Amino acid sequence: MKPRMQWAARAAVASAVAALLAACGGGGSDTSTAVSVNSVRVMGDSLADSGTFGFKATVQGSAPTGPGSTPIWPERVATTYGQTLCPHYTSNGTSFSVNATCTNYAVAGGRINNFTAPASPVSITRQIQDAGTAGYNGSELVLIDGGGNDAADLIGAYLRVPRDGGAAYRAVLSTVLDTATVNAAFAAGATGLAQVGGRYMQTLASQFAATIKTNTLDKGAKRVAIVNMPGITLTPRFRAVLASVAAANGATAAAQAEAVFDGWVQAFNQQLAGSVAGDSRVVIADLYSSFKDQATNPAQYQLTNVTTAACPATGVGSDGLPTYTFPSCTAAALSAATPPAGATGGSNWWQTYGFADGFHPTPYGHQLVGQLVSRALSQAGWL
Amino acid sequence: MNKHIVRAGAALATVLLATAAQAQVAGTFSVRIGATHIAPQVRSGDLSAPSFPGTRVDVDSASALTGGLNYMLTDHWAIDVPIGLPFKHSFYGDGAIAGVGKVGETKVLPATVFAQYRFGEANANFRPYLGLGVTYAKFFKERTTATLNALSGGTPANPTTADIDDRFGLTPQVGFVYNFNERWFVDAAYYKSFLKTRTHLSSGQSVSIRLNPNVFAVGIGYRF
Repeated sequence: MKPRMQWAARAAVASAVAALLAACGGGGSDTSTAVSVNSVRVMGDSLADSGTFGFKATVQGSAPTGPGSTPIWPERVATTYGQTLCPHYTSNGTSFSVNATCTNYAVAGGRINNFTAPASPVSITRQIQDAGTAGYNGSELVLIDGGGNDAADLIGAYLRVPRDGGAAYRAVLSTVLDTATVNAAFAAGATGLAQVGGRYMQTLASQFAATIKTNTLDKGAKRVAIVNMPGITLTPRFRAVLASVAAANGATAAAQAEAVFDGWVQAFNQQLAGSVAGDSRVVIADLYSSFKDQATNPAQYQLTNVTTAACPATGVGSDGLPTYTFPSCTAAALSAATPPAGATGGSNWWQTYGFADGFHPTPYGHQLVGQLVSRALSQAGWL
Repeated sequence: MNKHIVRAGAALATVLLATAAQAQVAGTFSVRIGATHIAPQVRSGDLSAPSFPGTRVDVDSASALTGGLNYMLTDHWAIDVPIGLPFKHSFYGDGAIAGVGKVGETKVLPATVFAQYRFGEANANFRPYLGLGVTYAKFFKERTTATLNALSGGTPANPTTADIDDRFGLTPQVGFVYNFNERWFVDAAYYKSFLKTRTHLSSGQSVSIRLNPNVFAVGIGYRF
């Protein structure tokens, strides 16, 4: 071999060795986030509550709260940023106390318009105000959900119209809308009654957005993610309500009612999106669309059941609908239970259910919400 | 010794001298060093369930320091083996996760062996060529991001990782060699690898990705 050939051969071998060395090690995952978040603050309802009442509104893990408990969606998001959450308010059943170091202000049953007790932490408006009072330095991530219980209140009152002549409905409407608007709606009959509900939800969304702006953005928060309202007509609870409407008044009436309620939810979401549009500090996670897609296309999300609750019913409420007891609905209990007819996955059958009870997601449902919110955060450049 | 032998010797000497001056006759070995740019022409499938419907990925271009070895089997046929440092490609969300940014990266060593046919005379300054290669794309150091973790239910403690299948592909090539002198030359080529692979996530989903990269390679070579 000529000297030059030897040189070439050596160069080739050296290159091959370098390539092989480069092939060693590495891989895995780079878990650093695009932006640094030093605190995650959460306001909302049961979907976001880390355990104000000593448990979470889903299937319980090995502990009801804290380590070992089921991670709900805001906790999943917080984990991404290396943060943990604990309930800011805790309840002993009759009154609330405050844990100032905990940044999850969400409370089960939370309403934007908690008209029966506006100053209670059950008011999401109050939660947002309290979180704002603590001040923001711009490095927080703020996660807010709300509106589901408000819509449920309104729908419940609307459905009582035939029985109470609209007294309850009028009372709820009047907490947000002026008397003239409410009177005009009642004078316009069935169509007016249906439309004014949308008006209520729209006004509520405007107020919600204004509350967030005043107490969060204006106080220095730079990253706020709002989860919009899911189509609650797709929950097992409202499917049951609509079934009872169908039984009493026929399928057409039930379909009309569903369209009316879904329209209210959409009215809220559209107004909310419109109110925050153009503000780069705010993103909306579109739970409405994703939730609807999960209901119509469950296999895509590896859901095997999106119509019935995984937890066993433990009673019947005054409205005739089943009630559930979350503290006793644990992962261990469900895995030990005989799977319902048609369920798959053996003892893990409940893990592919969408709903824990009639209204709240399973741990997997929370994972899906967390992924949805993460997508919105990523698209904003925050993750 | 007679004139015939002298003439034969002179003729042989002429041939040998001519060989030294000629560029790419049979038996010539050359090396080159340069750079290669790989521009994937991605067509992503949808990530399998569970996922947002229509979750797809895009793959960006990459360049690396490369070179190659070439051996002329005949005056026209050559075996060509590009070698080089690994390419690093980033993956970005597309489709239902468009705009989420980078979801991962991988290194790849596309090992290719080309059979090339070189046109023109062996001693021509400019010799275009056509080639056909077999590529084995070895993917390694697949690395996911916090974004992918969050989108797939992973956590910092238990992140979602990715594994890309190593695959064979056919690689047609067109290029040319321009000889500055009998030793030094420049070699430029465009090739297209027909390459399809599948990425598997530790969370259970997978997505097929047609890469079919356009590849541009240029190198300065030395002939022995």
